[in-house]
Amino acid sequence: MLAGIDYFVVISYLVGIMILGYYFKKYVNDTDDYFLGGRTLPFWAIGMSIVVSDIGALDFVGVSGQAYRYGISPANFDWLGSVPAMLLAAFIFIPYFWKAKLYTIPEYLGRRYNDYVRIIAAVTWIIFFTLNMGVYFWASGILLESIMGWPIWYSIIVTAIVTGLYTYFGGITAVVMTDVVQMIIMFVGGFALVFLSFYHIGGWEGLVTKLHEMGPEYQNHLNLIQPMDTNTPFPWTGILFGLTFVMSNAYMIGNQAIVQRCLTAKNEWHAKASMIFAAFLKMFIPVLVLFPGLVAIVLIPNLADGDKALPSMIREVLPPGLTGLMFSAFFAGFMSSLDSMLNSTATLFTKDIYQKYVKKDAADKHYLAVGKIVTLTILIFGVISAPLSSYFEGIYIAIQTFLSYFQGPIFSILLLGIFWKGATQWGGFTAFIGGIFSSFLMYQYSDSLFTIQNPFLYVSWWSFIVGLILNIVVSSFTKSYSDKKLAGLVYGLSE
Amino acid sequence: MLNFNWLTDVSLDTARWIFLTLFIITGIIVLLIPQKYIYEGIKEIRIWHNLKLWTIVLLTFYFLIYYNF
Repeated sequence: MLAGIDYFVVISYLVGIMILGYYFKKYVNDTDDYFLGGRTLPFWAIGMSIVVSDIGALDFVGVSGQAYRYGISPANFDWLGSVPAMLLAAFIFIPYFWKAKLYTIPEYLGRRYNDYVRIIAAVTWIIFFTLNMGVYFWASGILLESIMGWPIWYSIIVTAIVTGLYTYFGGITAVVMTDVVQMIIMFVGGFALVFLSFYHIGGWEGLVTKLHEMGPEYQNHLNLIQPMDTNTPFPWTGILFGLTFVMSNAYMIGNQAIVQRCLTAKNEWHAKASMIFAAFLKMFIPVLVLFPGLVAIVLIPNLADGDKALPSMIREVLPPGLTGLMFSAFFAGFMSSLDSMLNSTATLFTKDIYQKYVKKDAADKHYLAVGKIVTLTILIFGVISAPLSSYFEGIYIAIQTFLSYFQGPIFSILLLGIFWKGATQWGGFTAFIGGIFSSFLMYQYSDSLFTIQNPFLYVSWWSFIVGLILNIVVSSFTKSYSDKKLAGLVYGLSE
Repeated sequence: MLNFNWLTDVSLDTARWIFLTLFIITGIIVLLIPQKYIYEGIKEIRIWHNLKLWTIVLLTFYFLIYYNF
């Protein structure tokens, strides 16, 4: 499927990224460098890294497919489902996390509530990242095989070697700085496809006219706000309550892979600015990943599978050379998500499990070695476990659903933890456990409780509410920490 | 209740304005943040360090997107 020049572009990109990432090895002397980049990174690099980590190779295809089926409403996830949350993170949570010199979110939960909350949160994230790694390897391998014709194992091994090498040696500095290049590649490749797609259909006006001519079922395709009885999974109520109020906040404030990047900032201003800059860049993501799917409705109608929209558009509109660049963008998405999972899992394990429970007072070099070993171990586990995904149909969805059990409860304890000094350790603990249990119950009885097919947005909202109520009720009957102990952990209580 | 059936009568235009109002309220809250807190960590303050300005520009873009779509 690829021309000679496309192979040249893809291989040059892979080699270049490996060399660039390896270069940052020289900046790693201790755990602070390895996990937090020595707290020296600028806002623009962190902002670009946040955005690119959020977009995987699967998203390119998946979101284009959703656009093909539902129109522009999935863009809510990058727009409304990001911006208010990112501003809340930028101005409230991130400065406090940064000033507290944290490595992980569970570390904050441990200091604010207790070690039980910390360990549950840490283990949850470690399980999620580790299981997700193999599944992600396999799903991305299949994707690259279907659109590039590369054997699955070829893609997996090449990506594992390149990503593993720079993440193992360079830590988060290498992860963030390679992400900067990955984002540029992604934007250039993605925008090339978007511009050429629109050129083929006579621009935006052409798209609107042709969509209207295609019939009434396409009338809502250019509406971000969908009615409650929509046949898409995105009714406006779910977008408002589930996505905007809970899931996006849980993701931007409670996700280790996102927050850890902001903690690498050189000062508090850069930490805040990185999130706002990322929110600005986020504006372009739906344009990149969604518009090709939208144009495909007009150019290639009647595709049986919406997920074929993007690969078909690449074949239809991109010339040799640019095709290679687009495939490099796929690899960029693949690798940027992978390096985040690797480094974040290593940080969580080393700081929240190993240093806390296994070996408390070792030399810093020891923890650095542990971090590197964990990085390598998880990478190998991911590669080896990748083919297992093919034996468990629907495992990708199952793992994402597993995470959604925790989104509402974790945001509820983070929110009350930072804004209400009256939230007690047992209030937080009960809210976390009770919220997760309520998510579990809601999924178990989703057929009788909800009218839409996949109610993950509603489950997130209601489990968040359960978490809030439990935290307030239990905290009312239990003793809170002193202001001195909470200084620097609660808004308004400075150290 | 779990499906928000009590909001069935809310029109799509009203729903759109709920989202737009959210952007406006977010902007107002950010404008109320003390100036000193915005510049924490900066030694020599320049106009482009004003994160409130960044936020207002950002929210204006998003407001226009949701107003038009």
